[in-house]
Amino acid sequence: MSSTFEQLRSILVDDYGVAPELVTPEATWETLGLDSLAIVEMMWTAEDRFRIKLPAEQADLPTVAAVVSCIDGLIASGGSADRADGVGAAASDGPAS
Amino acid sequence: MRRVAVTGIGVLSPLGLDVDTVYANAHAGRSAIDRLDTPFAARLVAPLAATVRLPAALPFEPAKLRMLDRFSLLGLMAANQAVVDCGIALADVDRSRVGVFVGTGMGGTGAMDDGYRTLYEDRSDRIKPFTVIMGMHNAAAAWIGIEHDVRGPTLTYSTACSSSTVAIGEAWQRIARGELEMAIAGGAEAPLSNGSLKAWEAMRTLAPVDAQDARTSCKPFSAERSGMVLGEGAAMLVLEAWDVARARGARIHGEVIGYGVTNDAVHITRPTVEGQAAAMTAALRSAGLDAQDVDAINAHGTGTQANDATETAAIRAVLGAHAGRVRVSATKAIHGHLLGAAGALECVLSLLALRHDVALPTMHLRVRDPECDLDYVPDRAREAASVNVMLSNSFAFGGTNAVLALRSAR
Repeated sequence: MSSTFEQLRSILVDDYGVAPELVTPEATWETLGLDSLAIVEMMWTAEDRFRIKLPAEQADLPTVAAVVSCIDGLIASGGSADRADGVGAAASDGPAS
Repeated sequence: MRRVAVTGIGVLSPLGLDVDTVYANAHAGRSAIDRLDTPFAARLVAPLAATVRLPAALPFEPAKLRMLDRFSLLGLMAANQAVVDCGIALADVDRSRVGVFVGTGMGGTGAMDDGYRTLYEDRSDRIKPFTVIMGMHNAAAAWIGIEHDVRGPTLTYSTACSSSTVAIGEAWQRIARGELEMAIAGGAEAPLSNGSLKAWEAMRTLAPVDAQDARTSCKPFSAERSGMVLGEGAAMLVLEAWDVARARGARIHGEVIGYGVTNDAVHITRPTVEGQAAAMTAALRSAGLDAQDVDAINAHGTGTQANDATETAAIRAVLGAHAGRVRVSATKAIHGHLLGAAGALECVLSLLALRHDVALPTMHLRVRDPECDLDYVPDRAREAASVNVMLSNSFAFGGTNAVLALRSAR
């Protein structure tokens, strides 16, 4: 099974059209060309793929490495206690209307 | 008032994905209606539809495709076709003098259906974050505006089955009055989701499957008519001030010369002769035409009992003794009812009929109804038909009747 980083990279490349060489652990969403709306959707897709629930506060996950580490942590702790098909993320960090 | 030319046409419809194919199929009367081939079709009383067969590879990045409901995708692709067809780069035009006018009856109903399925069938609260921007009715117009950097009015009209006739008419008015130089105008609809089809089925306006041949299930103006068949698609025009189009040597497909819009103000679904007639009269008046100037009509012609008899009476009321000489085509028999995009597709078919001097056929009209006693051009197209001026009729649930008057550029 491919690593969390590899799986996240394939989401970014296949679903969001990010150039593969740009996806490094240090990359921020801005350098990958994802705006706030795209970040919300990408996190949703990642939750689906990894069967976890990411924290609602995106500011805590500014880079690819931060999300990978968060996902690995959630998977290690069972992840299912706060599973993705529970109540959705708060909308406070969503895009302005 | 300035004259308004049609300089670009784009169309993605059940009859084809480009203007030439659409015209060839409409001319030949080849029906695009067929049995619906989707997993939920088994739950439909009449699993019929006219679908758009898109290629597997679509001309957008994955990140953008994820944000497009099917109605926006079809609308954007049709608009892009129309802009290419108009032959100039919009970058060279003052974009504050360009507008986008899109009609849609049901907007992103597929995205909303997906969201409800997640919520109610899957019992999950994880609705896709893009559901709102995909479902909103103005999404198609917005994407067209973004794609072409249009800075003028970017508007969406939702008057059910007359939506895109209204959109084209409102765009025409703005250019005719000198408020805009150019507009992308038309309609987009993708109503073939499970929820939408079941809702239409519950209205009891849909035709049953014809036992002999499913493709003939929609029979406008026939005594055998038994309802409409839903279709999907988009059609867009580039409208341009006539003098500007001529000055740049643009190929002109035809001319929009008038527009009438009225309200029945009687019943939420039942049409009225008076309201439909008033819309046709208003279109003629705005075009400066008399009844005898009308050569042909693309009828609303849905194939429902109520519409076709009412529309026939309305045409008689407006055209009087001349009504019998007018060719009346109901092309929904073969492309289905595209709801908010129907008027735009039928406007395109009317422009093509004018260009080729042809009266397009009304198919599946085998048994005459005494209440529908006009010349509907049954079965086969009529060539050299001396078609110079046409009306394109669209009448809607809610009561908004809209009619465009079109003239050949020949």
